[in-house]
Amino acid sequence: MKARQNGRGSNDAPHVCEGDGLSGRFLAKLVLLNVRASETRYGMTVVAARSSEWMRPVTSQEPASAIIEIDRVSQVFQTSARKDHLALSDISLTIEEGAFVSILGPSGCGKSTLLYIVGGFVSPTSGMAKIKGHAITGPGPDRGPVFQEFALFPWKTVLGNVMYGPRQQGVRAAEAEAQSRALIEMVGLKGFESFYPKELSGGMKQRVALARTLAYHPEVLLMDEPFGALDAHTRTRLQNDLLTIWERDRKTVLFVTHSVDEAVFLSDKVVMMSKSPGRIRQVIDIDLPRPRRRNELLLDPRYQKYVVDIERMFDESDEAGPVS
Amino acid sequence: MMTPAALTKRAAPVLACIGLLAVWQVASLALKNDSFPTAIEAVRAIPDILGDKESLLNILASLRRMAIGFGVAVLVSIPLGLLMGRSRSIAAFFNPLLMVIYPVPKAALMPIIMLWLGVGDVTKTLVIFLGVSLPVIYHSFEGAKAVEEKMLWSGAAMGLSPAQRLVRIVLPAALPEILTGCRTGLVLALITMITSEMIARQSGAGNILFNALDMGQYDTVFAMIIIVGAMGIFLDALFERARARLVRWSEPQFDMPLSFS
Ligand SMILES: Nc1ncnc2c1ncn2[C@@H]1O[C@H](COP(=O)(O)OP(=O)(O)OP(=O)(O)O)[C@@H](O)[C@H]1O
Ligand SMILES: [Mg+2]
Repeated sequence: MKARQNGRGSNDAPHVCEGDGLSGRFLAKLVLLNVRASETRYGMTVVAARSSEWMRPVTSQEPASAIIEIDRVSQVFQTSARKDHLALSDISLTIEEGAFVSILGPSGCGKSTLLYIVGGFVSPTSGMAKIKGHAITGPGPDRGPVFQEFALFPWKTVLGNVMYGPRQQGVRAAEAEAQSRALIEMVGLKGFESFYPKELSGGMKQRVALARTLAYHPEVLLMDEPFGALDAHTRTRLQNDLLTIWERDRKTVLFVTHSVDEAVFLSDKVVMMSKSPGRIRQVIDIDLPRPRRRNELLLDPRYQKYVVDIERMFDESDEAGPVS
Repeated sequence: MMTPAALTKRAAPVLACIGLLAVWQVASLALKNDSFPTAIEAVRAIPDILGDKESLLNILASLRRMAIGFGVAVLVSIPLGLLMGRSRSIAAFFNPLLMVIYPVPKAALMPIIMLWLGVGDVTKTLVIFLGVSLPVIYHSFEGAKAVEEKMLWSGAAMGLSPAQRLVRIVLPAALPEILTGCRTGLVLALITMITSEMIARQSGAGNILFNALDMGQYDTVFAMIIIVGAMGIFLDALFERARARLVRWSEPQFDMPLSFS
């Protein structure tokens, strides 16, 4: 499956080069490297898919199967004051394979907690989460987290951090290094390969964290405000890069953000949460054409309407509920 | 070409030594006490000790016990400390035990150990082992406890098993703290080495020192103190060098000056 996807990518790499300038070229290189890696690893030949398959839009028209099912999940935390704190209350959510789903909500509404439950790092107090029909009992390389706190390995250089996952998965050193170097270039850190995390700025660390997770090709990306610490310019660039990767690999993405713009721009679905207790307020399908180009989208009245509507809903919830 | 600042930094320890010896010299000349030889007399006695085969063998025996005691202690204490830091039940089991042992001077245990194991190498090495273990366990424990949870989660997501996470994430992440404990342990190894030889005389640097004291050879006593002190300074400097190299990635970027220089 993986090899076929990669084959498709390499087959169509030229399309991206035309469309997306620099980052597209980096990606093309990256994908080619992936193909080589998977060939040697699984001993499979790469089947190139028809280009029409690549062109087909991947919105709700396609009958997609559920990859992640969250079923009546609640999470209670024991706080230091010995009081029970209901962080998540009765969350049910189904995420389709290949979907880009954003979780939007005020600070402290349980977005990170929900992500940790899907990641298998935290087991919910009640209810359960499933991946491909199997109950999630722990972390695994099929789900790649990008944490709000970066959590880089400080004793490894940038390159060492990015190579860690592929090496762990048994990719040979030379291949892992080549792939990782391409990824580092993609996130705009070429020249910083031998820097240690303490020598990087916050935004740079965040980009390393993103590259480190992408490096081991998880099927599902769990991203916790991955662009929160970036300047507007880098943020936009990485949003575009993430969309390019996603449009090619069709990874399922669960993306936590504070930014309404970002959520609408990137997602197929926006899950709006409310606070105390953390609940799902509403799930909004974002029916905008893909591939999305930022400059076109900003002028699109449909995009503007989504942003305004969602922001209005937030204001209403602020008025309704207790404001912190 | 060295800058004046770098030159001062290099020369500072040498100057400190010379200063100390000068004060000593003046003080002993002023006191005119038999049991307080001058610095020059003491320094003159050093080549005699180091030239004597018997004394050299004694000092080497001490160093051997110290190396074994320190090495075994580090090899046992680091894994134990790390396990305690990551597992609440292991910590709950060992913590009370260590809390009881911690304040007891290890040399005070020597009489019992001597009773059981005799006055030979085993007893002395065991005392050194006990002296080194506790700071190393404690610092490994603290270091392992402080490892950021998300770092372990990242490792788990990449497919590292719990054992692999302990070796490949907790150990390197806690290394700066562990090495701080080892440095304390090294100094304690030297201290317990001499103390153990003072209690169970038979061989070693401490043996030379206290035998000389009994026989009133005060220049030898002071010369031995200088030799043991120099050994400590040398070992500590060597260790510090290795430590700085191993944890370069964690050293603070900017020095916070403690002096007005
Ligand atoms: N380990 C924990 N122990 C106790 N309470 C916790 C713990 N982790 C989270 N909480 C509580 O659960 C709630 C949700 O936390 P969470 O980190 O999921 O919020 P969030 O939506 O990600 O916020 P932000 O946008 O600020 O990152 C908060 O009220 C927090 O105090
Ligand atoms: Mg959060």
